[in-house]
Amino acid sequence: MKNALRKSTIGVLLGAAFAIAAPGARAQVAEIKVSYQPALYWALPFYVATEKGWWAEVGLKPVFSTFPAGVPQIAASASKSWDVGGTGSVPAVLGAVRYNLLTIGLTNDESVGNALLATAAKADAFMKNPQSIKGQTIVLTANSTGDYAVQSCLARWGLKKTDVTIKSMGQAEIISAMSSNNADLGGLWAPNIYTMEEKAGAKVICSGKDAGAIVPGALVARSEYAKEQPQNVAKFLAVYLRAWKWMGTHRAESVAMMKKFYDVGGVSISNVSMNKEFDTRPVYDLAGQLKVMNRAAAGSDVDKWMTQIAEFMKSTGTMPEVPQAAKYITDDFMKMVDKDPKLKAFANQSN
Amino acid sequence: MDERLSRREFILLTAAGLAGFFALWTLLAASGLVPKLFLPSPLAVAEKFADLTQNPFVGFTLQQHLLSSFGRFGAGFVLAAVIGVPLGLAMGWFRWLDGVVSPLFDALRFVAPIAWVPFAALWFGTGIGGPILIIFSGAFPPCVINAYRGAKYVEPRFIEAARTLGASHWQMITEVLLPASVPSIVAGLRISAGLAWQSLVGAELIVASSGIGYLMVKGQGSISTATVMSGMIAIGLVGFVIDLLLRQLEARIHRRRGR
Amino acid sequence: MNAGADRGFRLGVGVATFAALAAFWAAGSAQQWLPAIYFPPPGEVWTAFVQVLVQGYADGRLHQHFLHSCLLVLYGFVAAIAVGVPLGMLMGASRRAEALFNPAFLLVRPIPPLAWIPLAIVWLGLGDGAKVLVIWFAAFVPSVINSYAGVRSIEPHLVEAARSLGIPRAMFWREVLLPGALPLVFTGLRLSLQACWTTLVAGELIGAITGLGHLLYQAGLDLNPAMIVVGMAAVAVAGALTTALLTLVESRSMPWRAR
Repeated sequence: MKNALRKSTIGVLLGAAFAIAAPGARAQVAEIKVSYQPALYWALPFYVATEKGWWAEVGLKPVFSTFPAGVPQIAASASKSWDVGGTGSVPAVLGAVRYNLLTIGLTNDESVGNALLATAAKADAFMKNPQSIKGQTIVLTANSTGDYAVQSCLARWGLKKTDVTIKSMGQAEIISAMSSNNADLGGLWAPNIYTMEEKAGAKVICSGKDAGAIVPGALVARSEYAKEQPQNVAKFLAVYLRAWKWMGTHRAESVAMMKKFYDVGGVSISNVSMNKEFDTRPVYDLAGQLKVMNRAAAGSDVDKWMTQIAEFMKSTGTMPEVPQAAKYITDDFMKMVDKDPKLKAFANQSN
Repeated sequence: MDERLSRREFILLTAAGLAGFFALWTLLAASGLVPKLFLPSPLAVAEKFADLTQNPFVGFTLQQHLLSSFGRFGAGFVLAAVIGVPLGLAMGWFRWLDGVVSPLFDALRFVAPIAWVPFAALWFGTGIGGPILIIFSGAFPPCVINAYRGAKYVEPRFIEAARTLGASHWQMITEVLLPASVPSIVAGLRISAGLAWQSLVGAELIVASSGIGYLMVKGQGSISTATVMSGMIAIGLVGFVIDLLLRQLEARIHRRRGR
Repeated sequence: MNAGADRGFRLGVGVATFAALAAFWAAGSAQQWLPAIYFPPPGEVWTAFVQVLVQGYADGRLHQHFLHSCLLVLYGFVAAIAVGVPLGMLMGASRRAEALFNPAFLLVRPIPPLAWIPLAIVWLGLGDGAKVLVIWFAAFVPSVINSYAGVRSIEPHLVEAARSLGIPRAMFWREVLLPGALPLVFTGLRLSLQACWTTLVAGELIGAITGLGHLLYQAGLDLNPAMIVVGMAAVAVAGALTTALLTLVESRSMPWRAR
């Protein structure tokens, strides 16, 4: 492992040196710095593609970096720590406003994977009478998709942000606080939801989907990188799409891989919960991506979803203005995959 | 103060102290006052500790996590020493520099290493630079302060003597000030190493792939208090060993200087 | 050297430094060779300052954050020295007590305050108690170490003399040990106070509602560097103020020490 670490460090350094020393000089294998968060459903394709050796097939050599949450991940893009990656939609919008981050596709629809949970003892009462949540304390990770889901739930019950006390902390702290009965309500995302359900008996009382909110996950790219290396961005997308295609037809093997991947991320949940991840979180293939990003009729679905999120963030005071969707959401790279017959075939390959 | 203890008495009391500590812990865990899930008994923690050294958790074994933490610690600490000690010495010697740096330094002293986390990610990312900045900010002040004190409070007669012998600025620094400040510098390095090691947990909040801080966060996330406590113990042990080594270095230097 | 002139010189250089730095910052931001995404320009910082002062940010206005943090630090600090100073002095005065308590202290000492957060949450919940516990750990260690060293630094012949006079135990503590140890005890308190402030930020990672640490954390989550700078400055000011207060107490309680 020490070697692996050293290699990755050297890899990053070399990659940086390469990018500076030889722009345009087309090497056989191009380095690309990919960022994600460990032990998340939408990050699984990166792991699968690596295990299967698909990166090399398109001439990419990924260098991975991982982050505990979206915000530090976005912050690290400012220092060019990574080129492309996946993240939550909330940090993606924040990144667009602060650092010109581009949203180039969707990882999945995680409306079910972001939810408000309550401890076993209190869950039923809250579900029966959501109004009783008034005056309670909710712990959540601010500026995350979990935050968005919780606030959407409150809105659905006609509750305002000021009706409850919100305390912001990391997901690990939330798990500690709820499992020790120091907090009754918490905003979590999967697989942390399953950890809480399985190990502490907590219950989901409202997911983003229940609240009628669409919570997508975003594929993002640093805008300078996308301008310099559009080809690599397209190849990156093709690899990602192929991994989903394969997982769609190889469930048993996918679950086995998920178990390994989650293990490395310190998450151990049951097979049932892992299957639930696959069952409740729709993903998009190339055609699906192009469809939800298509702006032909008065703005695309993705534009609408992301703008709703941006409005939520404006309402929390995180950012002063709602950014124009067309400025940071682009299907150019999906189209590049679509137009390149080789890449298109690659992206749609299910084996 | 009072008379020295006999060896036997010392060992007896030390053992009693330790036994009391662990007995209290065990009792508290067994009493159910704090749920077992959140205060495992010492034995359960010891078992987990042993298990972590054998079986990888979040990708690596405990030793491997420690090793990657240690790399970050070393880089941050060395950087702090290499910049801090000369700066402190120069501040002690050049009055104008003291005037320039001291106010800045006093202002920044109260800012926690962990408060630098957002800037660390922003400026240096997560490669190696970000974590180093955080450790550096913890380790830097004692390096500067002690080198400064060492240089500032050199006995005036040494300086007088050197001056009458016609020593240059440079000679004054390398041959009078530096040797005279060594004990203070080493004491500063010891404090600095301790703080650097403590800042590590903060630093590892921004890298999520390896390290003892990462292990603890992940242990917390999977509701395993024993894993968290194993991490604490590992940090404590290594911190203790680092301190012990530097203490020995300190004693050796004092001895050589005939004190 | 004339003390008054020296103070004037230092003040002058200090002010000049800050002025130069501010000018550098303003010029760099205006000319854009200090990129705004890495270093927030003065104008933005000012706006952020006004925002938190007038409208509030992170669920509170600046004075609310400020006061709440001062209160937390006060609790943690007082609780830590209430235990730490007597324990340290006892360990310094009695070798038996040292042998008894030192092992447990050595075990706990190198564990970073941040590492106590997971346990603080499950033990004490999300209220101020958990934050005070984390701050307590940070302040406890320096107060013990320096109180111990303070007692040990008392000239042995003073102790001998007092002993041979056969003065009562209580009087011995009051008239010999306490005054003798006080200078170093205060050094410890100073370090404890600084540790309180640097740990506050970490303590308030445990879901605070108001507080400077919470302000910094929220600003970090919002990727709002200007607000982070405001938060850091506020912590520095609060730290400097409380230290000045402590210095006042120090000079009052040791009138015999000419300053």
